[in-house]
Amino acid sequence: MAIPARRIDTLQTVELAEGMEIHLRAAGPFLRLIAYILDLLVEVAALLLIQLFFNLIFPLVGSNVSQAFMLLSVFCVWWFYHVLFEISPWGATVGKKALGLRVVDEAGGGVTLGQAMIRNFIRGVEMILPFVPLIAFFNPRFQRLGDLAAGTLVVYARPRIDPLLLGPLPLEKVPVNLTLSREEEAAILSFRYRNGGWSEARRMELSNHLSKVTGEVGPKGVSKILGMAQWLEEQR
Amino acid sequence: MNRQEFESKNQTEWQVFEQQLKGAEGGKAPADGHKLPSRFRKICYDLSLAQYRMFGHGICDKLNALAIRGYRTIHRKRGAFGEGAIKFVMQTFPRTIRREWKLFAIVSAVFWLPFFAMWWSADKEIHWVQALLGSEQMASIDGMYGKDADTVEHLRQEHGSNFMMFAHYINNNVGIDFRLFAGGIFFGIGTLFYLIYNGLFFGAVVGYVEYAGEPELLWRFVAGHSSFELLGMLVVGMAGLKMGFSLLAPGQLGRGEALTKAGRDGLPLLIGGALLTSLAAVVEGFWSAQPMAPNIKYTVGITFWGLHLLYFVFAGRRFGGA
Repeated sequence: MAIPARRIDTLQTVELAEGMEIHLRAAGPFLRLIAYILDLLVEVAALLLIQLFFNLIFPLVGSNVSQAFMLLSVFCVWWFYHVLFEISPWGATVGKKALGLRVVDEAGGGVTLGQAMIRNFIRGVEMILPFVPLIAFFNPRFQRLGDLAAGTLVVYARPRIDPLLLGPLPLEKVPVNLTLSREEEAAILSFRYRNGGWSEARRMELSNHLSKVTGEVGPKGVSKILGMAQWLEEQR
Repeated sequence: MNRQEFESKNQTEWQVFEQQLKGAEGGKAPADGHKLPSRFRKICYDLSLAQYRMFGHGICDKLNALAIRGYRTIHRKRGAFGEGAIKFVMQTFPRTIRREWKLFAIVSAVFWLPFFAMWWSADKEIHWVQALLGSEQMASIDGMYGKDADTVEHLRQEHGSNFMMFAHYINNNVGIDFRLFAGGIFFGIGTLFYLIYNGLFFGAVVGYVEYAGEPELLWRFVAGHSSFELLGMLVVGMAGLKMGFSLLAPGQLGRGEALTKAGRDGLPLLIGGALLTSLAAVVEGFWSAQPMAPNIKYTVGITFWGLHLLYFVFAGRRFGGA
């Protein structure tokens, strides 16, 4: 939903050339760290396989040639494994694909070869000082320095469609007799759409924030907000 | 129009669009492909409407997902690779070098000043050079360019050794280029460090060979590939410094935006520099160690430097009235 996304969710709003806004779900540093570790394992496995292969053909081509191919393979895997996978139709390395992530440019489209090179080459030096990648925590899109330089971010590949978790229907509609901003209205509606997935304690915790509006705390406050949401919905 | 009406009226259109997207994402050319853009526009319109009227998560999330997928499909970047490569070599790369001539002057100074200082110091006081190189490096230089060295030409007689050295130079030198570029992210310090260090080191090697070895062995080996290798390194250094400067002095932009812009503008320098270094590896691997009269090698080396100069100054310029 257009306006409230910034406060209710961790969604990133992007305006496209088509004049509309879409929402991207940026992936957090923890998930990306796991993807990175998976990718390291894949790289090591690939190099071991390549080495095995060249050890087998070594008697045929001689030591210099097999060593040369080995060096070139190390170069390609080390510098271009991430790059090539990220510009492929997957838009993700094996590790990211496994975790359902994807690298996109700032408008949500695929990345170019140059962008992939920049973001991955810079990771190498970011890792020299291990606190540097943590800068991603302070960026609303979780971009590390390489992402900033390339103009990319990592998002969930499939935009998640939240199931409607309506919960119990309210007993009565409660007319809202004060002017709500669009964001406030959206927050109340979201409360209704999602509260079926929460515990009773969580519902009360959230509804107590509105006790000044509802004049109630605890379970009564919850049902009053649900009633307001029901009223708002029938208005549209 | 309330939510139910909106949904039931447009439901079929959304489903048709989704079906068509699935086909297009799979790489098939759908029968009515020409309708994809107009259907995409309709999705954009519906999404904006649903967002504005706050029709709830169900509809908004679904349309948002469709819009993202549609955007990815329609705006897929797929150019003709060959054409792009030719344009890059003939226009983009040399133009970028000329546009960033100030950066070129800076990286040149940062590299050549330490180089000549070190070389010059070998003449006056060899201890600086010896301290920088260390005994192991000096021994290996003695082995290659010393008074009674087994020459490079001789070592490369073995089967496959040229190819082996080519692979080594690619792995080592192009790898150094990429690190040189990436080091720029620390306010340019990493790039400056590598450039200065390489300047000192190369200067020390030259100085040491002049002091203790046979300079002609060194010069005739490096003559051919020197222009590619050194210019490649300097050009990549320009891309690294560009990022560093964008963080130090972002101007009117935020630091993040300035960095993005520097990355985008400096990209031709990174790719072009890496290409030059790869060419250097080809020359260094397969040609530089061929047994040949030194004068031929010097002539070829100087010719390459001249060609680089012509390329950087004149390639991609529009002549006449364009």
